[in-house]
Amino acid sequence: MIPIAYNVRSLFVRKATTIATALGIGLVVFVLAASLMLGAGIKKTLVSGGRPDYALVLRKGSDTELASSIEVRTVSLVLAAPGVKKANDGAPVGSGELVVVITMEKPGTDGQVSNVQVRGISDNVLTLRPDVKVIEGRAPTPGTDEVMVGRGIVGRFTGVELGKSFELKKNRPVKVVGVFEAGGSSFESEIWADIDTVRSSFGREGLVSSVTVRLDSPSRFEAFKAVMETDKQLGLEAFREKDYYEKQSQGTSIFVWALGILITIFFSIGAMIGATITMNAAVAQRQREIGTLRALGFSRVSILFSFLLEAVVLAAIGGAFGLFGAFLLSFAEVSMMNFATFQEVTFGFDPNPVLLGAAFVFGAAMGVLGGFFPALRAASVSPVDAMRA
Amino acid sequence: MTQATNGTPMIRLEKVSKTFYRDKEALEVLKSIDLEIQEGAYEALMGPSGSGKSTLLNLIAGLDRPTSGKLTVAGADIGAMAEDQRARFRAANIGFVFQTYNLMPVLTARENVELPLLLAKLPADERRKRAEIALKVVGLEHRMDHLPRQLSGGQEQRVAIARAIVTDPKIIVADEPTGDLDRESANEILNLLERLNREFKKTIVMVTHDPAAAERAGTVRRLDKGNLV
Repeated sequence: MIPIAYNVRSLFVRKATTIATALGIGLVVFVLAASLMLGAGIKKTLVSGGRPDYALVLRKGSDTELASSIEVRTVSLVLAAPGVKKANDGAPVGSGELVVVITMEKPGTDGQVSNVQVRGISDNVLTLRPDVKVIEGRAPTPGTDEVMVGRGIVGRFTGVELGKSFELKKNRPVKVVGVFEAGGSSFESEIWADIDTVRSSFGREGLVSSVTVRLDSPSRFEAFKAVMETDKQLGLEAFREKDYYEKQSQGTSIFVWALGILITIFFSIGAMIGATITMNAAVAQRQREIGTLRALGFSRVSILFSFLLEAVVLAAIGGAFGLFGAFLLSFAEVSMMNFATFQEVTFGFDPNPVLLGAAFVFGAAMGVLGGFFPALRAASVSPVDAMRA
Repeated sequence: MTQATNGTPMIRLEKVSKTFYRDKEALEVLKSIDLEIQEGAYEALMGPSGSGKSTLLNLIAGLDRPTSGKLTVAGADIGAMAEDQRARFRAANIGFVFQTYNLMPVLTARENVELPLLLAKLPADERRKRAEIALKVVGLEHRMDHLPRQLSGGQEQRVAIARAIVTDPKIIVADEPTGDLDRESANEILNLLERLNREFKKTIVMVTHDPAAAERAGTVRRLDKGNLV
């Protein structure tokens, strides 16, 4: 086998073209890795809000909490259903919540607005959702115009900062008294206020959007669902909370992945053409070397493999650049619209090693594809003709 | 000079012809050549440009196949061999010395010499040892880690000769080995080839335009328009 040092050093003889081609491939790996990481980040953010032993009840036919509307008197029926966990004091672990979306101004954007989800919560919310922790300030006092905000939107909207106020609705100011985190879930992009405050602000008296309950165990879900859905008059539909959030994440993550893959396809065509041009030039410049290697007894397959390996090394250098750039993104956060709820949600890039590996392999595959025909050309040349060149 | 022949034919051509086709035009470069070169011979092929001497050398080296006739080298009918068989044959039996040295510019002298040994599946330390011995034979043990561009023309050609002998081939083919060298360097190379023939019993076939180089060979054969004259 021709030593790999020959290929690696040959690449560095042509530094400028090597770097240009590697950067082209690196850009493709970066775009692909970034979109896969963002897609995974979206999924992680939206799905991590759901736990397997939790169930979410909506009005039948509603895909989202925002579209659902359940009468308050029904909440007690849901909480009394078999399988719902009881707290030490015997009270069922669950509550009805009201969800609305408001538009808020982004600071420093000359009046640009975006949607933010407001969740009307009960006073047992921190018992119901043990993953939620108040990290600054305190939880709002029930029955007051106090709110706490998820850490993902702090500072992203005017007034959404600890100690500041904003209008929940026109002439209905609320004060931010706490900031919470929720294990990286989409709750961190919400404003939580007392449920009665939200009801009265938006004219939704006597209603909740959803009822969330904790079950005795995940296996109790089917029985719970059967009870919820048997009474047609109630008109309810139960979901495992995890499944619900999984479904919520699909539209947005598929959109990001599809967009990323589309951009990747266009970029990769360009990068492959770049790799082909570079490798073609390498083969043309090294005809005499190829002829000599053939004369010394190296087979056509050795030559083919050697130049393919060179293309893969070139792609791997590019891939490493791309992965490095993509990895840096894991320290960044972006906010974008969740297509299921129309709220702006803050997402991170999930540096999942499998996805990064897949992007790197894709880059290497581009090297193989881009380098294949030049390598085949190198392998096909007769040693006599090559040495005459 | 005295040749190290032992009377056994190392190379035998029987009515060997070579025709090249350019578009539909046939160009017969070698015409029914009969030739026998003994084991241990040192022969020079001379002739004007286009006389067919490089084509003949390429056939003997197994780089090309005759259009007709029988070509036997080191006991093997290489005219009948497929491409990959000839590649293996060359690796085992032929050492090459080219006019322009044809070293890999990105490899050091030792790495260049080690190249043919990569086909012999030897362990790395054995390859290194043999390459160092070959470089010692050509007097370049102190330049082993230099790249070709850091060597003079004569030194590059000596590295090429070390590469040619490192696998201990039976035959060395040299195509204008002094063509790119000044007289002093050329003499060094010719001395080295003479030594390889005399001390190491290598059969050498050399194409040259240089009468001074041809003089060093035991036999000088002349080609003209595809015929041995």
